[in-house]
Amino acid sequence: MTTLPPLPMTRPKLTSLARQKLPCSPTTAPRSQLIKEKNDIDHYLEENFKGLSKAEVAAYRNSYKKNIYVDMLQDGYHKSFTELFSLMEQWDAVRDPARFGSLFLQRPLEEQRDKLDHFYHYLTRAEAAERKEYFEDVYNNLYALACYFNNSEDRWVRNHFFERCFKIAQLIKMDGGKKEAEAHGNMGLLFEEDGQLLEAAEHYEVFHQLTHGRMWKDETGRFLNLLACESLLRTYRLLSDKMLENKKYKQAIRILIKAAEIAKEGNDRKMEGEASYYLGLAHLAAGEYETALTVLNTYSKISTELDDDLSLGRAYEAIAKVLQSQGEMTEAIKYLKKVVKIARNNFQNLDVVRASTMLGDIYNEKGYYNKASEYFQQAFDTTAELTNIPLMDETKVHYGIAKAHQMMQTVKNYIESADLTSLDYLLSWKESRSNIAPDPITAESRRSTMENLPQNSEHLEEELSGFPDIQKNET
Amino acid sequence: MNVIYPLAVPKGRRLCCEVCDAPAERVCTACTVTYYCGVVHQRADWGSIHEKICQLLIPLRTSMPFYNSEEERKHGLQQLQQRQKHLIEFCYTVAQKYLFEGKHEDAVPAALHSLRFRMNVHGLSSVELVPAYLLLAEASLGLGRIVQAEEYLCQAQWTVLKSTECPYATHSLLHRNLGLLYMAKENYEEARYHLANDIYFASCAFGTEDIRTSGGYFHLANIFYGLKKLDRADTLYTKVSEIWNKYLNNHYQVLSQARIQQIDLLGKRFETDTGLDEAQEAEAIRILTSIWNIRESTSDTAPQKTIFVLKTLVMLYHLMMNSSKQTFTKHLLCTRAWSSSQPVGYNRGDREAQGTVGAQRRDSNPTWDGHKNMP
Repeated sequence: MTTLPPLPMTRPKLTSLARQKLPCSPTTAPRSQLIKEKNDIDHYLEENFKGLSKAEVAAYRNSYKKNIYVDMLQDGYHKSFTELFSLMEQWDAVRDPARFGSLFLQRPLEEQRDKLDHFYHYLTRAEAAERKEYFEDVYNNLYALACYFNNSEDRWVRNHFFERCFKIAQLIKMDGGKKEAEAHGNMGLLFEEDGQLLEAAEHYEVFHQLTHGRMWKDETGRFLNLLACESLLRTYRLLSDKMLENKKYKQAIRILIKAAEIAKEGNDRKMEGEASYYLGLAHLAAGEYETALTVLNTYSKISTELDDDLSLGRAYEAIAKVLQSQGEMTEAIKYLKKVVKIARNNFQNLDVVRASTMLGDIYNEKGYYNKASEYFQQAFDTTAELTNIPLMDETKVHYGIAKAHQMMQTVKNYIESADLTSLDYLLSWKESRSNIAPDPITAESRRSTMENLPQNSEHLEEELSGFPDIQKNET
Repeated sequence: MNVIYPLAVPKGRRLCCEVCDAPAERVCTACTVTYYCGVVHQRADWGSIHEKICQLLIPLRTSMPFYNSEEERKHGLQQLQQRQKHLIEFCYTVAQKYLFEGKHEDAVPAALHSLRFRMNVHGLSSVELVPAYLLLAEASLGLGRIVQAEEYLCQAQWTVLKSTECPYATHSLLHRNLGLLYMAKENYEEARYHLANDIYFASCAFGTEDIRTSGGYFHLANIFYGLKKLDRADTLYTKVSEIWNKYLNNHYQVLSQARIQQIDLLGKRFETDTGLDEAQEAEAIRILTSIWNIRESTSDTAPQKTIFVLKTLVMLYHLMMNSSKQTFTKHLLCTRAWSSSQPVGYNRGDREAQGTVGAQRRDSNPTWDGHKNMP
């Protein structure tokens, strides 16, 4: 048998390398030799063929999540790894009920690579800083993460990092407690959102104490102290609201007095005013009219100083309410008229409606039906501009009642006089009633143009009997 | 009479050495089914595993007796399978034990047996082969035969790659061994990569705070320690000792609670144990002792850490009980010396350590007496 000479072939470099390295007789080369050569080939591949390195192969084969983990661990960031790992488990736990509840809310975290990248970036930096005991850096990194997850979906992640921040902040002593104060503020926010107002108030109190008398600003340039005051007041107000609901007036007033003091210290007039407004309302609810009046007067004074018409309007309205409960109607009317004027000037239609309705009520009670219907008409006209149907219905009924009251007198007079002309009037009115268009709104508006004609009181009374609950308003 | 002549063997029948697959020259006279190429291998096998399984091999390697009915045949086959499975487990445990005792030479034949039976039962490409490969690789690494270890690990890796479903624990073990291999080859990049993978898989299988995950952390810490990145090594060592401390503490609590309840019922002395198997105990001792050594050499900065590790070690020895009294007292004394030599600033850690030591002594002394009185 003749052996043919080997064909001259152009081979790729890799094959030729392999050929050269691996002779075809395996018996001569021990396995260890082969493995060594395999390593050489691997090395060659890694060097000369881009995209074939082991790391890249691994990156391609494995999930992104795993790659992030491995990257972390490779550099010894085991705390970050542990933290992310447990977060991921929680994430899955959060997602599970969503899956069963037919609402598929969140994508799995593995698919949200930018989030994972953020985790990697900030967690590793925080850990590196922690090793060197630069707690401020740790805080900043964790805080950045918390900010990144500041959306409704990932709120619990943000909360987790707020808690971490809070723990770290306790260790930062160099900045006089600024970070600690911030952390307290964040924790307060966290509890406030959870609805645990007492805990929130505690944190905000510390926040306020720590920032007291300091000129610290946050990243948007607001004074931290002011921020603390605001949040504390807000929490106090919510707390007091809850207490008022449960009729614990004393407690609510105590808290609101505290709030007012804090507001006074905060050197912000507007806040001070707000605090006294709510305090006044609480006093009103508790039935302490005198104190309520003095407190509300300070509020109105502050509002005039600040040229704040809106809050002035609110102040007057509250004062009027107090006066009304006290029974001093003339005073109340005076204030309410002021409110209506201010509200008109500022195009606060809702306020106009409210004030006018109150005015109408007062007049109605006292028997000045003309005036009452005038104000109710005002209220009704204003609601017609708004597109608020339930409110419009309500004012409509009020207006109707006043109107009816107004006409009642005339009708009664006609009946009592018992002569022909009055009988004619009554008859014509009764007849024309059948002509009334069924659309109540146009009917109403037409009625408003014809002031004194006793045309359709009966129709109105029919309408009234259809609203038994409104009849209560009348009395 | 244990010498055979290869030329006298019937044609087509090849007798191979049990250890190295070379043509056989000798046969074991006890079972007459095991062949060797020479005295050396026979001795090695006998010392390692053959003494224990000699008689068990006979039914596996002789042809099946003639059964009269299908039912019997089935039964016989099942029996055979069961025997093989039993042998797989037995050889595996024996090999593992040798490894933890540091007798790498002895572990090889046992591991080889385990591998061979696994091949018989599960086929060549099954994931079941991986543990045996890993044992062999570990043994080879221990013997310094890096190339051979790599060969085994390549096999294992390939098997795992091909199989679609492989438990996380196996992945973890594979990567740990690969990491150790690369450490031995001083390729620290790769080693770190594999150890990171190991920790990941172990965490998936057992959780991040499990003692079975701690091994990965420990080796990773060793790499950083070798690379003089002391801060990273330090946090990792801390992590490992925390994991162990937590585990032992929990176990101790459970045991003492159980003891309180048991004494009332039966008046019987309760056995203390660690709740670990031998392998894990050996691992715990190795890990904690080496951390202790490292801590002691760098203890000037943070003596609490040394005390912490010592505390954990003392607890481990106490729970193990079977260890000699000497080591225990040595560690105890060390702990006390350490804690008392600390300046006032470390008062808290000091008192803590003292408290633990006291507690350990209080409840360990009577048990010792009981131990000594036993025949």
